[in-house]
Amino acid sequence: MTDPDSRPRVLGVRFGVNPNSSSLGVDVTFLLFGGAAALAASLALSALLRARAALLGPVATHGAEPGAEEEKTP
Amino acid sequence: MKLRPEWFGALVELEWPRALVSVNRALARRLGVQETPRWSGADPGHLSAPTEVHVVLSKRCSAGCSGCYVDATPKGPALSLEEAKAVLDRLARLGVFHVALGGGEAMDLDYLFEVASHARSVGLVPNLTTSGLGLTRAQAERCRIFGQINVSVDGVGEAYRRARGFDGFRAASQALELLRAVKQEVGINCVVSRSSFDGLDAVARLAKRLRLNEVELLRFKPSGRGRARFEDEDLTEAQAKAIFPLAKRLMLLHRVRVKLDCSFAPMVFWHRPSLAVARFFGVVGCEGGNLLASVMPDGALVGCSFGGPKEASAFDEAATRRAFDSGFEAFRGYAARASEPCHGCEYLSLCKGGCRVVAEAKGDWWQPDPGCPRVREHRRAQEARPAPAP
Repeated sequence: MTDPDSRPRVLGVRFGVNPNSSSLGVDVTFLLFGGAAALAASLALSALLRARAALLGPVATHGAEPGAEEEKTP
Repeated sequence: MKLRPEWFGALVELEWPRALVSVNRALARRLGVQETPRWSGADPGHLSAPTEVHVVLSKRCSAGCSGCYVDATPKGPALSLEEAKAVLDRLARLGVFHVALGGGEAMDLDYLFEVASHARSVGLVPNLTTSGLGLTRAQAERCRIFGQINVSVDGVGEAYRRARGFDGFRAASQALELLRAVKQEVGINCVVSRSSFDGLDAVARLAKRLRLNEVELLRFKPSGRGRARFEDEDLTEAQAKAIFPLAKRLMLLHRVRVKLDCSFAPMVFWHRPSLAVARFFGVVGCEGGNLLASVMPDGALVGCSFGGPKEASAFDEAATRRAFDSGFEAFRGYAARASEPCHGCEYLSLCKGGCRVVAEAKGDWWQPDPGCPRVREHRRAQEARPAPAP
């Protein structure tokens, strides 16, 4: 059997950004549409990510890697 | 597009559609991630850093809302411009994607736009909550720099005055119009209390009329000046059960995106939505110390702006990193200590027992959220059990 992690997969997504500075906004829109929405979003995002990577090359890493030198606190 | 390696693979930030996507290691490799230390060892059970941090720039505001969560006053404490910039520098280096700027009234700070500009310059998306009171056309124009901006509107017309203690609806509505004229990502934050519940339809209708992109419904919390009003304004059991169906109805009726805040998770999961779909779309409860953290005006890093212990000084990058690596036990530790009915609930891994701040206000930080319909039913059943025979 194929190792499920060997197939490139989208595991989840959070759309939009949260402007609220006191709590996390949870988008419940997609609960209306069920598993079909999750499958469609997974396939579409996977294709989009691969296409962009193919077109633009490796994606830039955000934040320092673990072990990278930290700025000393004054 | 940029990414941050995580134990499971990576988080990828997309600008269009605006989204944070979790991908497995195989897809992360396709996107250019080589081996990373984050892929070694056991699953830490949490992200390497929050995806968003709430930066409470100040507790300064002259509006005087009767339920203000941070107990803001006209002369409340605030981060200085240099302190705010230093915090943003550190958060960006630690891999945070978004910051939500608020207060107090962040728009009252003369350096707000400089802070937002600095956030952009270090790769963070700045978002904003404001009351909108006194917003000028020139200020609205400068708000293009933000990702999403939500204006606090807890009711329409007289309902606004009842909720906030003063008549600010017209000013808030004008602010929404000014902001919407310059950008699309404008929405409403609406605090849902026992007395404002019946006015939510009018708020959603306003959002539709002004062509806003979202309405975020926030549970009334026992924090700041809200603590004194909590017993009177906490949702009834019937309202708690009705909030998720109501959100769906408002979405369908007014065709506006409706979001519920993290503290409403128990009220969503009581309706037993698909666990897999909820997990995929990030429908979660208390994510303090995991998806989110907060920085307070004194620089304290906390799991949630409503409560929880100080984990580090956000001015200290090494201490902040240690907190992200192994801190926030008051939030991350709930699932392992959950009592019934949380312990046996299939949604525990997403819900995390509801709102810790509500639980604490009702007596014990570690108890299940007493506002959860499932918890209320469980407690009633316990009370109804006949006492054991002597």
